[in-house]
Amino acid sequence: MHGLFRWSSKWWPGVIPLVAFWAIAAWTNTAPLEIDLAARSGAALKDSVLDKTRITVAGRDVTLGADAFSEEGRKSALAAVEAVPGVRLVNDETRLVPEAKPFVWSAERDVARVTLGGSAPLPASKGRLMEAARTAISGVEVVDQMALARGAPQHFDAAAQLLLEQVAKLKDGKVTISDTAVSLSGMARELGGREAIAAALKELPEGFKVTANDVKAPPYIFQAYKDPVAATLTLSGNVPGNNVHAAIAQAAERKFFGEKVVDNLKASVGAPSGFPAAVTAALGALSRLSTGTLAVSDREVKLSGDALYDGAAAQIRAGLGKDFPQGFQLKPEISVKPAAAPVDPTVCQQLFSDLLAKGKIRFEQGRGTLDPDSTALLDRLIEIALRCPTAAIEVAGHTDGDGEDAFNQALSEQRAQAVVDYLVKAGLPASRFTAVGYGSTQPVAGNDTDEGKAQNRRIEFLVR
Amino acid sequence: MAYLVMFHWGWLTASFLLGLAMGWIAVVHRGPSVSKVMARWLALAVAALVALAVSRVVPGRFGYWLDLGLVLFACYLVGCAIGSWLRERVVSRPPVKPGA
Repeated sequence: MHGLFRWSSKWWPGVIPLVAFWAIAAWTNTAPLEIDLAARSGAALKDSVLDKTRITVAGRDVTLGADAFSEEGRKSALAAVEAVPGVRLVNDETRLVPEAKPFVWSAERDVARVTLGGSAPLPASKGRLMEAARTAISGVEVVDQMALARGAPQHFDAAAQLLLEQVAKLKDGKVTISDTAVSLSGMARELGGREAIAAALKELPEGFKVTANDVKAPPYIFQAYKDPVAATLTLSGNVPGNNVHAAIAQAAERKFFGEKVVDNLKASVGAPSGFPAAVTAALGALSRLSTGTLAVSDREVKLSGDALYDGAAAQIRAGLGKDFPQGFQLKPEISVKPAAAPVDPTVCQQLFSDLLAKGKIRFEQGRGTLDPDSTALLDRLIEIALRCPTAAIEVAGHTDGDGEDAFNQALSEQRAQAVVDYLVKAGLPASRFTAVGYGSTQPVAGNDTDEGKAQNRRIEFLVR
Repeated sequence: MAYLVMFHWGWLTASFLLGLAMGWIAVVHRGPSVSKVMARWLALAVAALVALAVSRVVPGRFGYWLDLGLVLFACYLVGCAIGSWLRERVVSRPPVKPGA
């Protein structure tokens, strides 16, 4: 041992080349060592959920900068880098992702793109949302303006994905999640879109609630055009379903006695409530016009055209609004058709007969009350009566042969009187009309068939 | 440490061989030697450097270079010790008489 001390005093000359070795080793190995450690540290962080990870290595010291999504995640990332062989020190520059309060996320759609904004809880969920947006809304650009933040409510991903599916049903608009409150606005792509979205929102994960659903649908349009020249009634636009479709077509057939009904309606959901009643009432008003257009757009009813005489115009303007279900608005633009030239009483008789051959005045069954569907025909009769102001007219009521004679007699008188009352109410002088009931005494057809009976139940206008 | 050894094994071997050679020469070398006082000071300086390295107070690349220097020096010293010991064994063996 003593020798070792003695010899060691002579070891110093070798230190000079050793220092040279040291310098060369340091010169050539520093950069590769740093690169190697950076790669190993990066590999160690592969399974950690971090954002904005930066690894810088100086010598054997690693500086780790990253945004972590939980305190445990942050600590485990640091521990993972510290455990990398060769790492001497880890400089901690990590931090927690800021917490968003309230946690707001939004998806906004315009014509060309969908912009996802606000906060997303994790990089992975951000990726999933982008993917979901691309899948749900194909053919538009998806723009990511989401920042990462902590504080997302439970089931956030599921809620956001469900809302993205609703964005697909919008033409433009915005959905927002603020903590657990969901709000939507915008315009649905098609009729029924609003209802489909409202139904889908019931599937939102537990805890989420819809605070505002201001999605609008395109207007629900129904149109009818009465063309007196072609003698057609053209129906177009939407109806809620086959039953309503049939009902409206039937009502049109009843109310328009002289026109052929051209039915171009198509079934679509999304009708405002009360739609069938409003359309039926409006068709009744249209039937009283000589020419006219009915346009129903959501709850706005526009009726324009020419009434046959002043009284009819006033009645339509005043009366139609009352028949509408709540919420419907009437915008009448009704003018009066210029009065036709006066004619001889014989011509008047001809016109009455022709008209009554085309359509029949109808009453409620077994009673003397006028069926509202006959209003159009009555208006036409009034128009004719106005053309021969001097002629005295007998309004004759007839019944079929069923029932007792006394009842039939009374019924025929009541019905004739109801017609006269209508004419007088329309502004014609009462002195020109006499109501006469003939019961079943003047049949025009046999009473043994339903068809014959129907022909016998009639009102005749006779110029005296 | 294991990583440092693995990464620089070539340089460490070179240092060890350098030490082996120096130790071999030192036994019969007649040049100037380090005085005892000087040796103590040097040992103190090395101890201080080791303390610095162990406590990891030197940051970044300088810290790495210090570690590397000390590891190389340690290999050198081990090489010197083994070299001197071997030479001493050879030198102290009774000389073989020629022609015996």
